[in-house]
Amino acid sequence: MLAQVIVSGILAGSLYALVALGLGLIFGVMRVINIAHGPLLMLGAYTTYFLTTRLDMNPFLTVPVAMAALFVVGVLLQRGLVDRVVDAPELSSLLLTFGISIALVNLAQLAFTSDLRAVEYITGSWLVGGLAFSKSRVIAFLFAAGVTALSFLLLKFTRLGKAIRATSQSREVAMVCGVDVGRIHMLTFGLGAALAAAGGALLAVIVAIQPEMGGVWTFKSFLVIVLGGAGNYPGALVGGLLLGLVEQLASLFLTTQLSEVVAYVLLVLVLLVRPSGLLGGRQT
Amino acid sequence: MTSKAPAALAVALALAAGGVVPATAQAPIRIGASLSLTGTYAKLGKNQHEGYQLCEKDLNAKGGLLGRKVQFVVYDDQSLPATAVRLYEKLITEDKVDGVMGPYSSPVTEASVNVTEKYKKVMVAPLAATTSIFKKGRKYIFMVISPAEVYLEGLVDMAVKRGLKTVAVINEDTLFSKAAAAGAVEIAKKKGLQIVFAEAYPKGNTDFSALLTKLKAANPDVVAAATYFDDAVALTRQMKELNVNPKMFGVTVGGDLPEFYDTLKQNAEYIYGATQWEHTLPYPGNPEYFEAYKKDFGHEPSYHSTAGYAGCLIYAEAVKRANSLDADKVREQLLKLEMRTPFGDYKVEADGFQVAHKMVTFQWQREKKVTVWPDELAQGKPLFPTPPWTSR
Repeated sequence: MLAQVIVSGILAGSLYALVALGLGLIFGVMRVINIAHGPLLMLGAYTTYFLTTRLDMNPFLTVPVAMAALFVVGVLLQRGLVDRVVDAPELSSLLLTFGISIALVNLAQLAFTSDLRAVEYITGSWLVGGLAFSKSRVIAFLFAAGVTALSFLLLKFTRLGKAIRATSQSREVAMVCGVDVGRIHMLTFGLGAALAAAGGALLAVIVAIQPEMGGVWTFKSFLVIVLGGAGNYPGALVGGLLLGLVEQLASLFLTTQLSEVVAYVLLVLVLLVRPSGLLGGRQT
Repeated sequence: MTSKAPAALAVALALAAGGVVPATAQAPIRIGASLSLTGTYAKLGKNQHEGYQLCEKDLNAKGGLLGRKVQFVVYDDQSLPATAVRLYEKLITEDKVDGVMGPYSSPVTEASVNVTEKYKKVMVAPLAATTSIFKKGRKYIFMVISPAEVYLEGLVDMAVKRGLKTVAVINEDTLFSKAAAAGAVEIAKKKGLQIVFAEAYPKGNTDFSALLTKLKAANPDVVAAATYFDDAVALTRQMKELNVNPKMFGVTVGGDLPEFYDTLKQNAEYIYGATQWEHTLPYPGNPEYFEAYKKDFGHEPSYHSTAGYAGCLIYAEAVKRANSLDADKVREQLLKLEMRTPFGDYKVEADGFQVAHKMVTFQWQREKKVTVWPDELAQGKPLFPTPPWTSR
């Protein structure tokens, strides 16, 4: 029973990590807490829904398409709106992204209605040694792990990744070294939105899709990056898996009702004991 | 804010619907309601709204009420009780509506009724199924549907008749679901079943792995789940994933919607659901209502639609008999009234608690809902036991 719950926790945690990485990237580079992160995830889920139902695409093949589409949305949002508040006090960016979030949810309600949608693709599970591995969640896990790994490679080894990390460490120094900081901001926001979209596309085969599905993901992602250490990218991975496990174990040993309580108590404890997150704050 | 656009649309719709009918000399009777047109309960709240719309149309086609046209004023509460409270306050004090009808769901009704009682407005609450709402000494609220406590009675009764011994009861931690679960526990105990597992989960929960892992270890014969739509779907999917195989699995709300089958496809087979109403039940006017609804809205009504429709008819009948919109006179009539609508029977006790209406239990069999309980209304036999997921 414990093993089964740990499996479920890791499967859930991988998605948390994927989605939170996007939020963490944006925060790391721009110091903007993107409240609209969850709604961007919701748009990713709808992209998958429409591509699978209208064009008969395999839902997992829609992941790159949803990422590309939301990358563009992210770039446009950054260019049009978010760029104006990057240097403003943090409250401005909170208000702005909160506004974007409300706008996106309501536009989605008008455009897609609030009917619940679902992509019924593969259900059931693989049974391995008495443990059930949910098919859709395992595949989502593999995709999440793949996309997260690619993101890390991008950050670690490419020129763009180095520029992103340099900007997040010190914008001024990056600028002096010839990094086009405006362009980096734009691409980072696009990348963050694409990661949210990947999460949404993968969730599409797991949960019901509706315009308000994203809200809870904004908060969970926020929880994850605070747990792992804001601005510290590997921290998202650790925080995500930790949150997945804590929620599931709390459901097992206490009750499902208490699992969220435990997750947020953990947040408070981490903030008290290690305010910069488990892996420390942004790397310097 | 978010509620404006749908609300404006709803008002525009109401006006458009009213415009079809020849205008009468007097101002229309305006009936206000807050409904869950978006948010968690949107699917069901919209059906209720369509029930109100059809009732408005039917009443006006028959010359309206007290010689005046009937017009609904509807706002969207986004499935949030606090918003509904604000909206009823606005309907009564700013819009000065002539009467009100209930919102969708027990939690929203429980919150809103405090406003309608404060202003002494009669509220027929067609979609509030929680007993406690009617047991707090309130004077002006009237129940239409069967109480939450008996939703799972059919499932439990059938289980007992088939010699099953153990049951697991799980529920969303909200007013209606809690009451349905408590009712199921009580009925099961009374009938000699053993409760081997009971747990609640928070509203909006999407991952049931740990809960179902524990449930599986308890190995119940019957799983009785007091659900709404999202959780009923998620539970079913994850029961398959975790290979949880009770001999009977029943849900409460949501399981009766066509979307339940559309979403789950063949995985919905064998699942039991409880419903307040089916279009096949032999109530007067039921077939005509069913056809008219399909024609107007392009899809079949759910019981939420029909309860909304019937609740509105019941209120209208009481107004007609009272020959007045005065709350105390209408209340007196509502307490005396015995009425059969397409939804079934209406009769309340002195506190407005429904005692005449009957619940039915159905099972999804080959893409169709087949009424299997109670015997006198059953269309067919339940497919029993539910085969394990691996051998379907």
